[in-house]
Amino acid sequence: MSGDYHGDDDHEHQSAWGPHDWSHGAPHNSWAPIIMSIGIGIFLYTVASAYSWGEMVDPSSIPLIFLGLTISFFGMIIWWRQDASFDGIYEPRATGTPFQNIQIRKVAMWMFLMSEMMVFTSLFSTYMRYRLGLTPCVEIYESGSWIVNSQTIDSGEAVNCFLPASELIASSWFHIAPGAINTFALIISSFTIVQALRWAKKPVGSVDEEVRRKRVYRYLGSTWILAIIFLTLKMVEWFVGFYIPEIGFLGLHEHDIVSLVNEGYTIHADHYHPHHGWEDTHLAELAAANPSEFEEYFANIASIEGGYVTTDAVMMADIRVSTSTFFVTTGTHGAHVFIGIIGLTYMTWKAWTGGYTPQNAVSIEYFGLYWHFVDLIWVLVFPFFYLY
Amino acid sequence: MNKTKIHARSIIVMSILLLAMAFSPLVSSFPTGISGVKDSGCNCHGATTSESVIPTIEGLPEVYNYSETYELTVGFTGGPSTIGNINLGGFHLWASEGELASNDATVQRYNPSEVGHTEIGNDQTSWTLIWTAPASDKNIEFILHTNSVNGNAGGGAGSSGDEWNRLTAKVSAPIEVLEQANPYVVLSTLIVISAILLVITVTYIFYRTNPDSFNWKTFEPWICEWLTSTDHKKVGTLYFLAGLFFLGVGGIMALMIRIQLSVPGNDFLTQDQYNQFFTLHGTTMIFLAAMPLINGFANWMVPLQIGAPDLALPRINAMSFWLQPVGALLIFTGVFSGTGADTGWTGYAPYIVSETAHVGTTMWVAGQIMLVASSTLTGVNFLTTIAVMRAPGMGWMQMPLFTWSILVANLMLFLSIPAFGVGLVQVYLDRVIGTAFYDAGSGGDPLLWSHLFWYFGHPEVYVVIVPAFGVISEVIATSARRTVFGYRSMVYAMAGIGVVSFIVYGHHMFTSGMSPTLRFVTMLTTMLVAVPTGIKIFNWLKTMHRGSLVYRTHTLWALGFLVTFTLGGISGMFFPSMAMDLHFHESYFVVAHFHYVLVGGTVFGFFSAIYYWFPKMTGRMLDERLGVLHFLTAFISYNGVFWPMHRLGVWGMARRHHTYFISTEEAMGSLPAEAAGWNMFISVSAFLFFFSNFLLIANMIKSVIRGKKAPADPWGGWSFEWMTSSPPPTPSFGHFNHGEWIDLPTLKDSNEEHIGNDPSPLVKWFQSLMVLDDENEEVNN
Repeated sequence: MSGDYHGDDDHEHQSAWGPHDWSHGAPHNSWAPIIMSIGIGIFLYTVASAYSWGEMVDPSSIPLIFLGLTISFFGMIIWWRQDASFDGIYEPRATGTPFQNIQIRKVAMWMFLMSEMMVFTSLFSTYMRYRLGLTPCVEIYESGSWIVNSQTIDSGEAVNCFLPASELIASSWFHIAPGAINTFALIISSFTIVQALRWAKKPVGSVDEEVRRKRVYRYLGSTWILAIIFLTLKMVEWFVGFYIPEIGFLGLHEHDIVSLVNEGYTIHADHYHPHHGWEDTHLAELAAANPSEFEEYFANIASIEGGYVTTDAVMMADIRVSTSTFFVTTGTHGAHVFIGIIGLTYMTWKAWTGGYTPQNAVSIEYFGLYWHFVDLIWVLVFPFFYLY
Repeated sequence: MNKTKIHARSIIVMSILLLAMAFSPLVSSFPTGISGVKDSGCNCHGATTSESVIPTIEGLPEVYNYSETYELTVGFTGGPSTIGNINLGGFHLWASEGELASNDATVQRYNPSEVGHTEIGNDQTSWTLIWTAPASDKNIEFILHTNSVNGNAGGGAGSSGDEWNRLTAKVSAPIEVLEQANPYVVLSTLIVISAILLVITVTYIFYRTNPDSFNWKTFEPWICEWLTSTDHKKVGTLYFLAGLFFLGVGGIMALMIRIQLSVPGNDFLTQDQYNQFFTLHGTTMIFLAAMPLINGFANWMVPLQIGAPDLALPRINAMSFWLQPVGALLIFTGVFSGTGADTGWTGYAPYIVSETAHVGTTMWVAGQIMLVASSTLTGVNFLTTIAVMRAPGMGWMQMPLFTWSILVANLMLFLSIPAFGVGLVQVYLDRVIGTAFYDAGSGGDPLLWSHLFWYFGHPEVYVVIVPAFGVISEVIATSARRTVFGYRSMVYAMAGIGVVSFIVYGHHMFTSGMSPTLRFVTMLTTMLVAVPTGIKIFNWLKTMHRGSLVYRTHTLWALGFLVTFTLGGISGMFFPSMAMDLHFHESYFVVAHFHYVLVGGTVFGFFSAIYYWFPKMTGRMLDERLGVLHFLTAFISYNGVFWPMHRLGVWGMARRHHTYFISTEEAMGSLPAEAAGWNMFISVSAFLFFFSNFLLIANMIKSVIRGKKAPADPWGGWSFEWMTSSPPPTPSFGHFNHGEWIDLPTLKDSNEEHIGNDPSPLVKWFQSLMVLDDENEEVNN
């Protein structure tokens, strides 16, 4: 671009948007940073002008959102185009102690993961603050404290309480199935990415190059497919739900597994109706101890049958805090998987062209570090948000 | 070249798009709350105004008398009448000054400047009400909305039988008042003018380097080179220019704040505007001025000081920079359209997620998210560079102190800023898609924001001060012509500040009702910060004590730093003490304290750095006489600005308030009469301080164009950056040959006795833990 710098291998791999990174020692120019920054700016701006407090206020900004995404993506393509021809001629290594001889970019990836750790730490802190600080909805329901008098019930006043998603997800094997399959998908994908690295790293001569090419892109491709499965199942679990047919010998009845959003578990759920087999012991005790008071206040909304209270009264819960923490934390993890998919798409393509050799196989390792991290986070997210 | 042209054009188009968005009033067109009727009209009575409705207002004088009461009659004629039906309707009246009040049951008052019809007054064609004129001279504007409903057409929202229109009326003061410029217009104009001046200056400098071949053909590759460069020196210069530019913008905002506060009860800025100005002043100075200035010098000097050819990730480095101007544009979006963030730079919840906070707050949050991304990338980059790219033989304990300070600062920054980033994303989602992280109505906890913010915010203030420590260590050691006293204790002191910074943030929340036990713990840890800081100050003094000090401009700034920073540090010790904090918090004492450490510390430190490293960066010497003049004027006017603020704070002048009142009597919330004089003194000093810094700008421009050529080592420094030529070549050290760096400097090339130290036992132990790469790879290569 500048015309000033001609590295050793500049002529072979000239790109319209600047020579690729680290191909030679001299600085190298790139249009990618400024284009990506402008794209991200347009994206953040237009999303905030299109939506406000959860409502679409300016539909004319919607096309601009996609414009912003397109520009960012275009910048990323430029970034990769500069990298695509990289064949491992120069992979800088550490000179100083104590990391002597380690690839510099590997250290950088570890550093990056350190700050990523803090991102999820903050999200988990938020979650713990609300999970431990707010009264669980079940407790409020079972104590009966939500019934102040029959008038409150009629007016539908909502109670602030915490309703973990696990209340819905862990309620049956079928509800938890997408999350469980996802866990295995991610763990297996961590295995396949290591296999891709292993095959890419085999010394030249010890393996047929065509076999290497096939193995690497197939393993990377499997990782890609597993990641796609992960996001697809997540969408099913959040938005779509699925259908269980009648299978007699398994004892299955035909029924729908409703998605979280269709259950009403959304970020706007300020009048949510929890109804998952909780037992209202408070009213039963009240009825037993003081039948006349029970009659006076609650007879029109509840009755005692076999020791349990059946009631037509509906407890309304404001669970927006619970849903916000759930969707944003798992969503942030999902976004990391999505970014991984974008990276894997590029890497699978590069492997298809036979781009990975023992010299530059280490870039699969860098991605693998990130991917294991995403996997590890899921291993924490799953019990915290799905099981308990 | 043709392709370059296309690239440059596409960048220009995208930038114009982004600029157009920033200036568009899009985000200001959603009026909030009750004031909405004034701005947007009675939308519920149809989308647009109707010409057939003619609002009238009677009883308004042309010129009012002070405090006189007028009876006004508002009404309307016309509307969607069909024969035989009388139109009825409602009204809404807003007055910019004075007080409106209702006269009878058909009119209700919303607040002193707004009245409307009541339910029983909803079927009339005229109403009477009372307006009391103000007691001072104002130009007064009335905005009247009336709607007219056809009785038979059903009426109601949006029906064809319902139309409305707007009327504005003006009343003059007894003594003529000149129309006042809108402060937004003043600020936007100044920002645009500064940006244009910056571009002109840069172009002029380019022109002067080669006046003969000044045309688009030579200019274009030059400017494209700057837009695309990943060279640490070029990116560093970009950071530096951006930092200085925003220092000016933040300064302009500070001046407007000072104009407002120069006299009691001033109305140059409304309360609403004042809130935005101090919010953006804080945000600009911390994130857009101090951080880029630090990053500018870090970019320039860290690779030079450790003998590295470039940063570890040059392209990521360019990315870190370019996220900043775009983020800055988003932050300022609100100001250009008149609804900037008005939350304070701390953006406390729940106000930041309330609809009363300006819509520009969303963009402010979006811009901050980009700055967080930028800082994270910067942190990764510098930590990696310093950890792995030191010249062979340079151990941790042989690194120059400026590099150490950048290491500590970036470690603090990138371990703390994700918390802030997550908080910002939560606020962004709250405001945009309607989650409820900080919505107290749904059980959200506003204090959670304070925790996330201050977990980042307190390390952040050390992030901006610690690099200044590094600069001062370099400058004082070089000027005293000896090694810095107690190098090792300096390093441990900085590292100590880095560690302690994470456990002190509770002192920002003393008055939030935290538990007394935790307050006590935080009080102790905060006071602990004084220990490593004190060690550093005494080390600097001791360095000068046995040295022979050479008084250059950068030395003067360093000495000035020692004085002002120590004063700021001492006033800082008032706040960890709970009893004092409860009294002083939210007063001008706090303002005085953090300006003493941030201006007297960071800014003075980096002024020193400018005078110290400018010859290395440009190859030209700065004018020492102008430099000394700059130091004297700026140092004196600076103290004139901030020293009296301590006194104002003790008197109880509240920070973040758009005005104050003085009284000779003991009245609630009023200050003694002398406060007015001191405030005027502060404002005058602020103007002097602002304009004295133009000496620096003039000095730099003059020096770049026709300064004396600088030698490689003009000050007699002995760290690596003084070993290369001024300006350094590209790459800075060594050269690249057949996939390997050769001719990199080693520590032996530098003057070993100055920085020579054995690795500490801790470092040796850590080194023994590191596993070297397997042999296989080496063979394959």
